[in-house]
Amino acid sequence: MPMEKAQLKLFLNNIYPLPKTDLDYFVSFWQPVIYKRKTILTVAGETEKYLYFVTVGVQRAFYLAENNKEASIVFTYPPSFSGIADSFLTQTPSLYFLETITASSFLRISYDQLQQLITEIPALQNLLFKATSFALKGALERHIELQCFSNEEKFKTLFKRSPHILNIVPHKYLASYLGIDATNFSKLLSTVKI
Amino acid sequence: MYSNNLLELLQADVKAIILQAEQLRQQSTEKLTQEPAVGIWSVAQVLEHLNFYNSFYIAAIEAKLHLHQSSPSVMFKPGWLGNYFVHIMKPAANNVIAKKMKSPKNVIPASKPDATNQLSKFITHQYHLLNLLQVSKTANLNALRIPTSLSRLITLKLGDTFRFFIAHEQRHFVQIKNTLSVMNALLQDRA
Repeated sequence: MPMEKAQLKLFLNNIYPLPKTDLDYFVSFWQPVIYKRKTILTVAGETEKYLYFVTVGVQRAFYLAENNKEASIVFTYPPSFSGIADSFLTQTPSLYFLETITASSFLRISYDQLQQLITEIPALQNLLFKATSFALKGALERHIELQCFSNEEKFKTLFKRSPHILNIVPHKYLASYLGIDATNFSKLLSTVKI
Repeated sequence: MYSNNLLELLQADVKAIILQAEQLRQQSTEKLTQEPAVGIWSVAQVLEHLNFYNSFYIAAIEAKLHLHQSSPSVMFKPGWLGNYFVHIMKPAANNVIAKKMKSPKNVIPASKPDATNQLSKFITHQYHLLNLLQVSKTANLNALRIPTSLSRLITLKLGDTFRFFIAHEQRHFVQIKNTLSVMNALLQDRA
């Protein structure tokens, strides 16, 4: 656990450096939690209670569309935040599910606890604002990719940005993440030159 | 076992049930309402049966949790009756039901329940159950005792009630899965 907390501190420092005493105090409230593979952490309709920091494993957020098709929205893996961000920040019901793909461990903090700490450490607002801003930037960039890129460009972008993900996430999930057909995805995997 | 671990595990189980129930929304009404064979329950009938228990146990648990004066205990120790009930209910690891059981007469469903209505009722109950599991993190799973639907005099520890009740739902979701594969084959033959 001390190592996981050190990972979290490093991660937070890269987003927005806090004074050491504040950072230590803030991180002391994060609780470790472990889940088996294929465990649902949040269901659609539920309001996200926690902000997670991933220390082990891969997770997937997916939307359950018509005909029980699952659209993969986002993958998370260490070191990064996880949880249904929009539901957490707005405290409104989530539209999609969050599940572990592999056995996962996290540190996590509840919404109420976080709100309480913000009143004690106002600089946390800046940290959260920074983190949310980058998440928004990522989401909008992905929006462009989905609308304007060809299948091959989508595949190349993913491969460049997160090459390791090809080994840990089932390809059918990656295909749905890129909004392309599963058979097309395996064709691209065998033909595209990077 | 640790009380908090148990509650986390059960929350994950209920969430898995909600996902399966959400997937049922996409099935045709015919598939959900028709009995796969004479005397075998349709999916809608299974849901109505589960809703009987949901109404009973959610109300019973809520009544005990309301204004409870207990404080959480770190460890939960299952009772012998609780263990027995969970043992006979819980599907095996390979999702197979070892021994068939008969349901008590008072929880036998109507012949043609409204599938959509039963399904949305069921899902609403599951969100309620999730909240009760969350609230229970502040309660003593050993000390609070919940009456069973068998008799007001037979009670189970709160922790055991959750374990038994959720195992019962898992059991019937194995049944629903089997019923659907029979229905898929039947409807395909006809087409």
